[in-house]
Amino acid sequence: MGGTFREQLFFVMLCLSVLKGHARYMEENEITPEGLFSLLNSELKREIPEEFIYSRPLRCLDMVAAEGQFTFTADRPHLSCAAFFIAEPNQVINVEYDSVDIDCRGGDFIKVFDGWVMKGEKFPSSQDHALPLMERYIDYCDSGTVRRTVRSSQNVAMVFFRVHTVGSSFTLTVRKPINPFPCNIISQTPEGSFTMVIPQQHRNCSFSIIYPVEIKIAELSLGHLNDFPIKKSMPGCAGAGDFVELLGGNGMDPSKMFPVADLCYNFNGPAQMKIGCDNTVVRMVSSGRFVNRVAFQYRLLDRQELQRIKVNSVEDFCFTG
Amino acid sequence: MKPVPLILLLATVLLSSHIPPSVCRPRDLAMFDGHGYKSQLDEVLLKAGDNAISYLIGEKILRYLQRNPRLQAGLPPQFPFEVTPLGSRGLGHLARSLPPLEEQRAPEEGNSLEEFVELTKRNDDPTISIDLTFHLLRNMIEMARIESQKEQAELNRKYLDEVGK
Repeated sequence: MGGTFREQLFFVMLCLSVLKGHARYMEENEITPEGLFSLLNSELKREIPEEFIYSRPLRCLDMVAAEGQFTFTADRPHLSCAAFFIAEPNQVINVEYDSVDIDCRGGDFIKVFDGWVMKGEKFPSSQDHALPLMERYIDYCDSGTVRRTVRSSQNVAMVFFRVHTVGSSFTLTVRKPINPFPCNIISQTPEGSFTMVIPQQHRNCSFSIIYPVEIKIAELSLGHLNDFPIKKSMPGCAGAGDFVELLGGNGMDPSKMFPVADLCYNFNGPAQMKIGCDNTVVRMVSSGRFVNRVAFQYRLLDRQELQRIKVNSVEDFCFTG
Repeated sequence: MKPVPLILLLATVLLSSHIPPSVCRPRDLAMFDGHGYKSQLDEVLLKAGDNAISYLIGEKILRYLQRNPRLQAGLPPQFPFEVTPLGSRGLGHLARSLPPLEEQRAPEEGNSLEEFVELTKRNDDPTISIDLTFHLLRNMIEMARIESQKEQAELNRKYLDEVGK
């Protein structure tokens, strides 16, 4: 017994002598660990020194795709101005008011709109957006002192503003936080690919490409068809609660566009379609009971293809082939 | 003929003439002729009729701008705000005051290039909107992307400079 205990004790001592601790300390140099981490850690962007924040004047008609600070200064009365914001598909837009010097009582305003509106047509459409139309306009003069930050629901937003007095100014700080489940996207490019996933949510999502494109759907997975067949009492996919439709039109609003095709069966091979409209939308309607996914690619149609579609098509709303 | 065989014959004829719906074909567009599409088209045509001249002049101004992209970048356009679309007279003034295409190259001398965008506010719908063509919108997105990529490259360079110290 004593012998076993001694052996164990010797073993422990042997282990202790073999294991050595290493101590280390961070050497101070010009870049402190904190400073370095703040540069690399996107969550700490607020603490980034000013020379790293992009800044430029905002124009009366402007398009902003970058993060940073944008200052509008009125050199003369500007009565109708609009600035568009656009981000990557998996980002949303965060607009923060800074140093606002306008005369709300004198008729000046700054209104941020949750989406884009052009010629009276809005994206996303009222059917695809959670808020009613009037709540999508957020007026600084009504709520700016209370609510200094506005976040969009999708990757596009815009701001309308009017200033009467010379010298009035305001600054908008734009950030683009990540959106893990993007729904309602406008593509920045005429070519690309995207996979839209609606995870058991009762919502409709649109992917808008403001170019005439050929869409190639690589994969469509609508949850319900794995379990039981849908009862088709009506032609097409009208009876299905979950389906994907391709729309074409010459406006911004998907609900005013024309359905070119609808898909309510799973498949795994490319299915392609050329849509010669100014705006092409892939829209997924989801009942909320299943996880639905569609993966597609798109590329710009060249002039020859567009011409061919125009010649061959019998419909005249846009030209599809 | 006896009634029962007749009924059977009728039933057979009716059933055989039923055409089963096909799967996943493009939706029948005939249903739009009765409602939405036609009325939208009428609405657009009426509006265009009212604003035909202003629309044409507006298009001309847009094309002018597109041919001179430098003017887009340097100049903040001024738009008189009106409840209705700018009348043909107003746009006529504007178009006449536009400098000839070939000579004008300097955007900064308070030049008369204005009003290629109009804000319309319909009386029945308080939505604030803007009139742009898709062509102009696409150009603007392209320019904004280039700016964003330049900014990101500049930022990356600054980060690398910091790290490299």
